[in-house]
Amino acid sequence: MYPLPYPEPALLQARDGTMSSAHSEQPRTGLETLPGDLIMWVLIVSELLVFGAGLLAFMAMRLTDPVGFAEAQDQLFRTGAALNTLVLLTSGYLAAKALHWRRAGIGLRPQLALIAAALLGVLFLWIKGVEYAHKAAQGITFETHPFFMFYYGLTGFHAAHVVVGVVLLLLVAWRDDPDNIEAAAAFWHMVDLVWVLLFPIVYLLG
Amino acid sequence: MKYQTQKVAYAYFLVAMGLFAIQVLGGLIAGWIYVSPNFLSELLPFNVVRMLHTNALVVWLLLGFFGAAYYLIPEESEREIYSEKLAYLQLIILVIGTLGAVLTYVFNPFPGNYLLGMQGREFIEQPTWVKLGILVAALIFLFNITMTVLAGRKTAISNVLLVGLWLLSLLWLFAFINPDNLSLDKMYWWFIVHLWVEATWELVMASILAFLLLKLTGVDREIVEKWLYVIVSTALFSGILGTGHHFYWIGLPGYWQWIGSIFSTLEVIPFFLMMSFAFVMVWKGRRNHPNKAALLWSLGASTVAFFGAGVWGFLHTLHGVNFYSHGTQITAAHGHLAFYGAYVATNLAIMSYAIPHLRGRDPYNQVLNMAAFWLMTGGMAFMTFVLTFAGTIQTHMQRVLGENFMEVQEGLSLFYMMRFGSGLAVVIGALLFIYSMMVPRRELLTKGTDVPVAGE
Amino acid sequence: MSEILTKSRARNIFYGGSLFFIAIFGVLSVQSHRYVVNTSTAGMPLSEEVILGKHVWERNSCINCHTLHGEGAYFAPEVGNVMTRWGVQDEPEEAYEMLDGWMAAQPTGIEGRRQMPFFDLTEEETRGLAEFLRWADQTDLQGWPPNDAG
Repeated sequence: MYPLPYPEPALLQARDGTMSSAHSEQPRTGLETLPGDLIMWVLIVSELLVFGAGLLAFMAMRLTDPVGFAEAQDQLFRTGAALNTLVLLTSGYLAAKALHWRRAGIGLRPQLALIAAALLGVLFLWIKGVEYAHKAAQGITFETHPFFMFYYGLTGFHAAHVVVGVVLLLLVAWRDDPDNIEAAAAFWHMVDLVWVLLFPIVYLLG
Repeated sequence: MKYQTQKVAYAYFLVAMGLFAIQVLGGLIAGWIYVSPNFLSELLPFNVVRMLHTNALVVWLLLGFFGAAYYLIPEESEREIYSEKLAYLQLIILVIGTLGAVLTYVFNPFPGNYLLGMQGREFIEQPTWVKLGILVAALIFLFNITMTVLAGRKTAISNVLLVGLWLLSLLWLFAFINPDNLSLDKMYWWFIVHLWVEATWELVMASILAFLLLKLTGVDREIVEKWLYVIVSTALFSGILGTGHHFYWIGLPGYWQWIGSIFSTLEVIPFFLMMSFAFVMVWKGRRNHPNKAALLWSLGASTVAFFGAGVWGFLHTLHGVNFYSHGTQITAAHGHLAFYGAYVATNLAIMSYAIPHLRGRDPYNQVLNMAAFWLMTGGMAFMTFVLTFAGTIQTHMQRVLGENFMEVQEGLSLFYMMRFGSGLAVVIGALLFIYSMMVPRRELLTKGTDVPVAGE
Repeated sequence: MSEILTKSRARNIFYGGSLFFIAIFGVLSVQSHRYVVNTSTAGMPLSEEVILGKHVWERNSCINCHTLHGEGAYFAPEVGNVMTRWGVQDEPEEAYEMLDGWMAAQPTGIEGRRQMPFFDLTEEETRGLAEFLRWADQTDLQGWPPNDAG
């Protein structure tokens, strides 16, 4: 912590009229009672806001053209997406276990679990890539129908998060401080959660 | 003032205030042309007046930022500036460039010349030689400041300030990219304009505010700096993709309508956080700094920025609304209050704080300075309301009913008269501010007198 | 003890997150660039005349009175769709004559009316400007403006 190096003593005057030390206890705010690092919560809440807004917009647009949206949705590769759900959930489980094992101080297991979680993330991206390639081969672009604009937008933005998540998991497998693992795992769970919201809304609900 | 080289900031602030005066006077003339369209129409047409108004604004804000950096970096780094000479050289280049741009706009001596002639893209009309000068000046500045910071103590405030200034200088490179394709031109143009005012400048603003709050409230540095990172994170996370709200109707893909709507809605968050942060810090801080004017400007800046950039920005940022309001007086209303709150007021806050130190006096003439604040802020708020009403009527008549532009404008003349009146209040406030900074020698208030502070 | 908000982590998220959004913005910009070239402005060739017209537009600072695609000053009418408004979007020759006649009549000098300055353009420049405005008019702007009033 930095000391307050230049309190300008001539100018600063405590409100009760006495000069106060620059080092005395600062008032605590209610936010300091949250578990985990606050910045992670800021991140997670803002991500959920973005995806939430995107999904709301998607559902609102669907109301304007339910038939077109349903027809477009039928062209999606649902099995691949369902498989991807399993992949991500397993990966999330491994990340949680890694934190648990790291806190329990069990040898190499946390690292292995994190690497496995990251590899599953890569598998997710591979399946997603196959799905996109398939769509592209059919000539389906974001301009084909508003459904596909949201499809590419929402799942693409999510996939970008998966990329970040994989990098983070590998990073904390290397710098394996429990706080780091906790932060990466929290991010990864958020990515999981977003997919669990996206999957039914984009792929299943009609 | 603890470091000799902080003195450099004074020169920057002086030039900035001079250009501020020119800017608001230019605005006053432009406002009068709206009321009386034949005024100066042959001598100094509206387009030239507007160039002076907008360019002077941008240059003086940048000079203020440079000055602020030269003032606060030595204190943050606990070092003298790496090179005082370079800092003055940078200022000289910028002053010559500014004079060159003004003369080019007014007399247009080299029409069509790539290097010497006016370039004519909105806000970056400067002749290419001036643009190059700005680039050189920016490089000198970055070198000078970076060397100072690297040699000294690294704080979050100097860190964020540097990131902001580096990024904004890098983005300036897009000023040299002018594609023949109009839609591409517009897209890359926004890389400067939007990513300056809704991303990188926010970093500069937040770090200046953090510095001021640290000094004025005596709140612990650790707390200020953590929140600084949270604020600037939300600024960039929302602001970068928020660029999409300019990409709705210029020939870019339709997905920008959703990306722009969602992310630019979130652009309200950093401004809300800045405002809350400023008030909470003042409330938590246990010290009364005698420089009430600087505190008033700091709180005022964060509050008016929230309303001008945040609320007024949100009003017309959703693409369903923007489809009708795009390019009407509503944009003008938002632009005026946002620039005033976020950047003008932040600059005036750091000047109110720093100039008394730089001139070796007590914080002085606060009554005049605070009167200037209320005059300017009141005038600007009234102008914003007036233009918002004008813009709403314009949107309805022109965009919904499809009536002819000029006929609609003639119907708005009452609003333009009121806008001129509010502009006059702003100009008087601005001149009063400069006067209160420069002229009076005696302190008018006794130290520590409790003056109620309030935002908007 | 883990602190509630550590500065180093806040800083890392600031840097990492910003890079993330810059990367996404970069990818979308590349995609948008291609979309503009291949789709939205592809209806009319970007000829030498159009390019000359763009430079005429710029060197006379037209943007500081008019709006073009809704951007600019709000002092004078929108010109992104002026050729449609004049009914000459598909007639290059008539577009030129209409524009030439308009430019020659300025300033009107009428008391109480906004004045457009006189611009001393060659025929080639005026033709270029007309073509530039027709080119701008054919751009796919996602349905904007709502009507011909611009």
